[in-house]
Amino acid sequence: MIVNIKEVAATPEAVILQFSGELDFESIKSLVDAFKKIDINNRKYAIAEVGNVSMISSAALGEFMGFRKTLLEKDGDLVFAAMNMDIRTKFTSMGATKIFRIFNDVRSALNAFKWQQGLAPEIINLTFPANLHLVPPVRQLASRIAKQKGYSNKDSFRIETIIDEICNNAIEHGKQGEDQNISVKIGIDQKQIEFDVINTSDPDKLDTLKALLKPMHEQEIRSEERRGRGLSLIKMLCDELSVDCSEKGTVVHVKKVREVKDGISN
Amino acid sequence: MNIQLPYKVELSFPGDIEYIPAIRKFISEILLVSHFSPKFAYRSEIIVDEICNNAVNYGCKTEDARIDLICNIFEDGIDFTVKDPGGDNFHVERLKNALSVESDKKSDKGLGLEIVRMLSESLNVVIDEQNLTSVRVVRKRENFSQNN
Repeated sequence: MIVNIKEVAATPEAVILQFSGELDFESIKSLVDAFKKIDINNRKYAIAEVGNVSMISSAALGEFMGFRKTLLEKDGDLVFAAMNMDIRTKFTSMGATKIFRIFNDVRSALNAFKWQQGLAPEIINLTFPANLHLVPPVRQLASRIAKQKGYSNKDSFRIETIIDEICNNAIEHGKQGEDQNISVKIGIDQKQIEFDVINTSDPDKLDTLKALLKPMHEQEIRSEERRGRGLSLIKMLCDELSVDCSEKGTVVHVKKVREVKDGISN
Repeated sequence: MNIQLPYKVELSFPGDIEYIPAIRKFISEILLVSHFSPKFAYRSEIIVDEICNNAVNYGCKTEDARIDLICNIFEDGIDFTVKDPGGDNFHVERLKNALSVESDKKSDKGLGLEIVRMLSESLNVVIDEQNLTSVRVVRKRENFSQNN
């Protein structure tokens, strides 16, 4: 067995262990020595890259579990990357897939670590024509992304509702025309999701729009009045809402903090 | 307000497999609201899935790598362009081999391009000197094509 220890540029808390050969009983000492070389005071995340490993024994797996336990005590983890099908099958038969996370490659493993640490939000940009028929797919996209990233069904549905309202407003109150587009920027991390929705202003509708944006206590909402309720709904569902309205366009910024239940993020 | 064709949708997302299911569903749904058949939408979803998977798996080297997806929807079909920042030389050569007319099926293994070819009218790949890769697929509506 050969093992190389690699630093990760710009992520000092992570380290990559590149293994090759057979992780058999005879390689245990080398494995333990490799783990000892890692300064666990400063490292909390280890990625075991096993793309060139042809065999892994139960004894070696036990050592990985032991090292993982050490990292877990520091709120870290040990994960595997680039595992071939044979090794993965063996992992499954040993029940190890219930313990270790396995990624396609080192890059995915590092991205997962960065996600956990909340180092930087992941950004999705979308531009689509200003047409109401396209809003349902857009809101579904936002909802699915939130769910995939671990947000609860409740949060995902609220996110969908927020995006729906904002995009509908952007289209209805913005400039009409085949060449008009809506831009949506989504920034999502472990703790919150933020949207910026941008349209092009319609000069004829600007005054109406500014009236709708008046602070709530200045407005009189009549029960038969259907306009102006969308923003109230968004305000109820999100944690921050700001609207920047100008002759060029309107930028709606929304932040929604991920729901935390009993100290655990949902 | 009916949807006016042609129109363009542009998406940019992190080079991470996790995003692909939501992205391909989005493309399928915009095709359905543009009055393409469910069959057309689903087959287009398959194409987007294959190409985006390749872009993420073989075209993203750095952690901050991103994928750009541009869809032009026309009256008679759709064309997708997927751009990635470029993988290592090994994977670029593999892609070139998979695209060459004389390639045998083995070199295409794992890239799913055979499926994409079966479901589309044309498949074009441009790779520049920095390995920046752009894959463009054209797909025609059923009425306009015999391939469906």
